[in-house]
Amino acid sequence: MLPVEWSGEEWTGLDGAPGIVYDLGCNIYSPDGRVFQIEYAAKAVENSGALIGLKCKDGVIIGAEKLMPSRLLMESSGRRVHPVGMHAGIAFTGYAADGRPVVNAARQEVENYHDYYGVDMPPHTLAERLGHYFHAYTTYGGYRPFGLTTMVTSFDEVTQEPFLHMIDPSGTQFRFHGAAAGKSKQAAKTEIEKLNLKALTCAEALKRISLIIHTIREEEKDKPFVLEAGWITADTDWKFQLVPKNLRDEAFEWGKAEFDKMDDDDDDDED
Amino acid sequence: MSPPGTLKKGEVDLGTSIMAVSFGSGVIVGADSRTSTGSYIANRVSDKLTPVHDYVYCCRSGSAADTQAISDIVRTQLGNHAVELGRAPAVKTAAKLFQRYCYEYKDRLMAGIICAGFDPVEGGTVYSIPLGGAMIKQPFAIGGSGSTYIYAYCDANYRENMTRDEAHTFVKKALAHAMARDGSSGGVIRTAIIDENGVERFFTPGNELPFTLQ
Amino acid sequence: MVEENRADKSFPHVDGGFNFENFKRNVSFMNSDSGIKGTMPKAWKTGTTIVGVVFDGGVALAADTRATGNVIVDKNCEKIHYIAPNIYCCGAGTAADTEMTVSSISILQEPLRDTHDTGQISSQLELLRLNTAKSSRVVTAMTMLKRHLFNYQGHVSAALVLGGVDATGPHLYTVYPHGSTDKLPYVTMGSGSLAAMSVFETSYKDNLTEQEAIDLVAEAIKAGIFNDLGSGSNVDVCIITKDKVDMKRNFITPNDQGPLRASISKPATFGYFPPGTTKVVSTDIETFATVTTDVEMLEA
Repeated sequence: MLPVEWSGEEWTGLDGAPGIVYDLGCNIYSPDGRVFQIEYAAKAVENSGALIGLKCKDGVIIGAEKLMPSRLLMESSGRRVHPVGMHAGIAFTGYAADGRPVVNAARQEVENYHDYYGVDMPPHTLAERLGHYFHAYTTYGGYRPFGLTTMVTSFDEVTQEPFLHMIDPSGTQFRFHGAAAGKSKQAAKTEIEKLNLKALTCAEALKRISLIIHTIREEEKDKPFVLEAGWITADTDWKFQLVPKNLRDEAFEWGKAEFDKMDDDDDDDED
Repeated sequence: MSPPGTLKKGEVDLGTSIMAVSFGSGVIVGADSRTSTGSYIANRVSDKLTPVHDYVYCCRSGSAADTQAISDIVRTQLGNHAVELGRAPAVKTAAKLFQRYCYEYKDRLMAGIICAGFDPVEGGTVYSIPLGGAMIKQPFAIGGSGSTYIYAYCDANYRENMTRDEAHTFVKKALAHAMARDGSSGGVIRTAIIDENGVERFFTPGNELPFTLQ
Repeated sequence: MVEENRADKSFPHVDGGFNFENFKRNVSFMNSDSGIKGTMPKAWKTGTTIVGVVFDGGVALAADTRATGNVIVDKNCEKIHYIAPNIYCCGAGTAADTEMTVSSISILQEPLRDTHDTGQISSQLELLRLNTAKSSRVVTAMTMLKRHLFNYQGHVSAALVLGGVDATGPHLYTVYPHGSTDKLPYVTMGSGSLAAMSVFETSYKDNLTEQEAIDLVAEAIKAGIFNDLGSGSNVDVCIITKDKVDMKRNFITPNDQGPLRASISKPATFGYFPPGTTKVVSTDIETFATVTTDVEMLEA
């Protein structure tokens, strides 16, 4: 049974709120031109851990705040950052189960493209195709949009340039110097804008991302999280690489320490 | 039905001498101009150097119908690919597309193709796609019925890092000898030099073939 | 009452059902004592001479008018087909599959059917013109033809000379049955192509005038008519220029036998043979069987 009622004058939700009928699928617009299901998918992203991507002096890095809901979980499970080819990787935040098909689709696209054309899929094409994939799920009846925001990092072998793209649940996709998604993304963006990306190396950026995540997650300060990251840099010979655990741990601790220091300073000020 | 790798009855043959050589900053492609049906020359000034994109050419040998059909398909596909790419395609991509058709339909086609061109990453590049549908990157490639007569000549005279003019002379001399010995090759020599500046085409008349001893 | 009078009672006449006449004929071919014993007759190639030449501002096409089959010959057929208002096409057809044994009628029809494939192309081009409001281009016709022929892998035996004038100037192509094409200033096709090409190779020059082009193609077709057994009868010429098509049907009739026949004096009795001209050697009269059916009328 549909969760709607006929009030005698118009369709309403079971709670009696008018107009709510327009959010039952994404193949119908609301009268003011919105597709509610896409906005709900964006909400799913906003409730999830932070995702930060930075295009630096010597490459591109993506870092993710993976929230650990239980201490019994293995640290390496439920990954947020995935390689999809030698020259490309993606990271996502949001409804984690939706991430798998997206990773698989990206891997297939990258492999088929190389198989067909004999060259690596260029960054804008990868982002475009993933954008199409996301968009398709906002148009067909019986499907719901992905509750994900995805960042794509990949390397153009012709121009020798690394790229950072971000795709939101609607399927729109843009190229960024720096990008943030997930909970407290506004705060994260403010922090990113303070950075001098043209002078920053990826190794430094890893620490910065750690600090930003520690800074913006005030409310869940006590909830444990794992810092995951992937990068394409001159040091990795422009191949995509999941950032090694020792570097991540180091950055995690540095970020935590810096944040605590700042926190103490703040407390001092207040005193 | 005729067995694979043979012409069908009455089919137009490009009994051919074709060649491509990469040099420092580009490639040179060359071909004779004879197209025959049996013992009759159907076209004595044919153009077997076929563009598939701005900086990528192919040299066609085998059945005229098959190679024209393949290069038409590859040309449209490569054009679409370049539009999506937003820049000139890699020579390797063109060769891959040729290989796809030559391999997939190997039992229905009679096509030996040399794909050559220039791209900013690899520079001048030559790929040979022989009858079975392999794809072989080579510093230079020869093909067609006339090529059998000039393997030794080419092996003896090819050098790495030839100048543009040296490579051009090498191509024309090799083709002149292939055309002299192969009955189904002949006519004029058509050559094209492809480098970062584009394509320049040349024509050597049949009465001015550059034999080595002249 | 029905009376049935038939002379050959050994071969009963049957209405409907299957007809095995060709089976009997084929058996007699295979058992024949003549030179073809053990072989079935092969489909014949139809001879043709078709040519085209580019001149200053246009294209001239020409064809002979002989259609050959096993038995039937059309002495004045048309081989220059309409493709578009600015594009015409000469067709040479050969029986597609020489392995197949076909009757004389289908041997004639085969080339006609195949060269008439140009009809499909002309319809497609007309629709394209209506959709785009632009006049047809010769390359378009050429591409459609070559794709069609390549699709059929040579089983559609149409060898064509395609010519026309479009927005980009005059163009002339040959299209082979397997789908390959050539673009040249002068071309010949068909069994008479060698004879016709010899004329072109001797007399062609760049920038011909329209009249020179007409004379050249007519001369080339005459070479086919007189030197190729498969070609004959008259010369058709078609001149295509930027804004005009001039179809010169039977431009030259080098084989008109009318005056020759008229010049022969015949006796007054020519063609009339009075009874008794042929001597009766013997007479044999067959007595026909008479079958009678009586029908009795009954009250219903």
